[in-house]
Amino acid sequence: MGVPSVPIITREYVDLAKATAARRGMPRERITFTPHPIWGRTSAELIAILGGADPVSGRPLMREITDALTVPLSTEEKKVGIENVSVGPPVYGPDTLDNLQELLMANGMTDYMPIIIPTEEKVEAMLQGTSHGADEVLRKSIEGVGYESAQWGFTVRQVAVNAVMAGCRPDFFPVVLAMASVGQLGLFGSTTSSSTSLVINGPIRDKLNMNYGLGALSPFAQANATIGRCWTLMGKNLTPGGVPGDTYQGGQGNNLDYNNLVIAEDEKSSPWPPLHTQFGFKAEESVVSIFGGPDVRQGHGAKGAGVAENAKFDEQMSFMFQSMVGGSGALVICDPLVAKRLVEQGYDAKSKLADWLWKNTQRTAKDFRESFLAYVHLYPLALQGREPYATWYKLPDDTMIPFFPRADQINFVVCGGQANAFFQVANMNHGRSASIDKWM
Amino acid sequence: MKLNRRKLLSLLGASPGLLAGSGTESGQQRNTRQSSVAAERRIVAVSPKGTPPPITLSAMALRLDTLEGKTIYMVDTGFFGGGALLQGMQGWFQQNLPSVQTVFRKKAGVYAEDDPKLWAEIKAHGNAAIMAIGH
Repeated sequence: MGVPSVPIITREYVDLAKATAARRGMPRERITFTPHPIWGRTSAELIAILGGADPVSGRPLMREITDALTVPLSTEEKKVGIENVSVGPPVYGPDTLDNLQELLMANGMTDYMPIIIPTEEKVEAMLQGTSHGADEVLRKSIEGVGYESAQWGFTVRQVAVNAVMAGCRPDFFPVVLAMASVGQLGLFGSTTSSSTSLVINGPIRDKLNMNYGLGALSPFAQANATIGRCWTLMGKNLTPGGVPGDTYQGGQGNNLDYNNLVIAEDEKSSPWPPLHTQFGFKAEESVVSIFGGPDVRQGHGAKGAGVAENAKFDEQMSFMFQSMVGGSGALVICDPLVAKRLVEQGYDAKSKLADWLWKNTQRTAKDFRESFLAYVHLYPLALQGREPYATWYKLPDDTMIPFFPRADQINFVVCGGQANAFFQVANMNHGRSASIDKWM
Repeated sequence: MKLNRRKLLSLLGASPGLLAGSGTESGQQRNTRQSSVAAERRIVAVSPKGTPPPITLSAMALRLDTLEGKTIYMVDTGFFGGGALLQGMQGWFQQNLPSVQTVFRKKAGVYAEDDPKLWAEIKAHGNAAIMAIGH
């Protein structure tokens, strides 16, 4: 910016603020802090905060701010140059299995469940699962994940280490590499505790014996279990992600982070084309699609879900959408029984159902404007003139508008054992899809 | 198939240590001891970490001699509470350092987006900036 500046941040984010400043090249940036939170405080309370002390330094807050702008810089603050960052040694040990388990856990490299110790032999075996070279750079830099993921690079070998730790077999490795290639890894750092869903399509599902039948979303298949686990381990290890208080701020966290809602689509039982064909891939290609968002909920909690005759799944889905974060999308996970019934009811294409849901799931402009996501994410876009938000911010309060900005934010995937006609709704957006075949 | 006797015993609620200290050492016990030694084999684990780039240190902008008569931009990133706090701060300056001119701006785009237009405006017309992150 070129002029003296001072950020003011709530005390909850002390570590994050300092670490971010350091990663951005200003480790001694003068940062000031208020009590936490300031959101929802009255004007009188905010004025009292300004008249009080910085809870980190203990000094009067406004004095801290004016000093930050006027006290001459120290030699350290004027320092320029390059500083290398250490992530520890390239190997750990030699030591016993138990001690290495403890060591890797204590260093924040695991998900706190036992891992497979990544010996050189096991990593070499994992590398046999791909034709790509071990030293091939998969990512030179990664766009920020969550708050501050900085630009960490990684190679095929470094991904293989994480795949070993997660319990993947070498034939799972192309799926893991495809996931790693998208440039965004597990453990999204937002205070919203958002997580991930990994949808897998194509012939690879059967080659790896993935479960897309009974209990498809539960721990009944090695590939489903370990591929999802690996996403989180990669988030912890191949980026600086997943450090609570620093790069991870999920207030309550998210249990989905243990497995990242791996979904192998039941393409044979689905009456619709498989999900990946919507994103431009051929049906015979194997593809992983990555979705992100806060949660997943059971459709049998919907209004009207107990009506046995001619269940209106479209209306049930619409009902479920109403309490979701509207700017995010919806990933509807249909048991084949639900999908087939929807086709019988006229939804012979997913797009027809998405259009119906988009048109019939609405809220008032006032409710939209007062929603969390609109304020933080969409209001700034409205100010930039981006549509439909710019228009939505000008509408009278009681004007009805679609809950989701676009129909294509509503996606469908089919899996399940046909034990009952149930569906689940993940409040998740499609992010990227990547070819798995490319990594064979 | 080799049984992991240590694991089996622990599943049955018995400590392998109890057996290790009892009676003379039979052939079976010797095998167990060898298995234990194997379990205590020392191995090397490869680090799973990625490669962070080096950090380029940036010099901080020179500080002002005084705030008297200066223009300070108050920048709201768009997170909850940040704007209201800065507006309260404008009142504080008016009361305590009235010669300071404050200019309130909401940064364009979602909170993490860059706003080079605003930075240019601050550089051209401001002497300092205070940025509130909110929460």
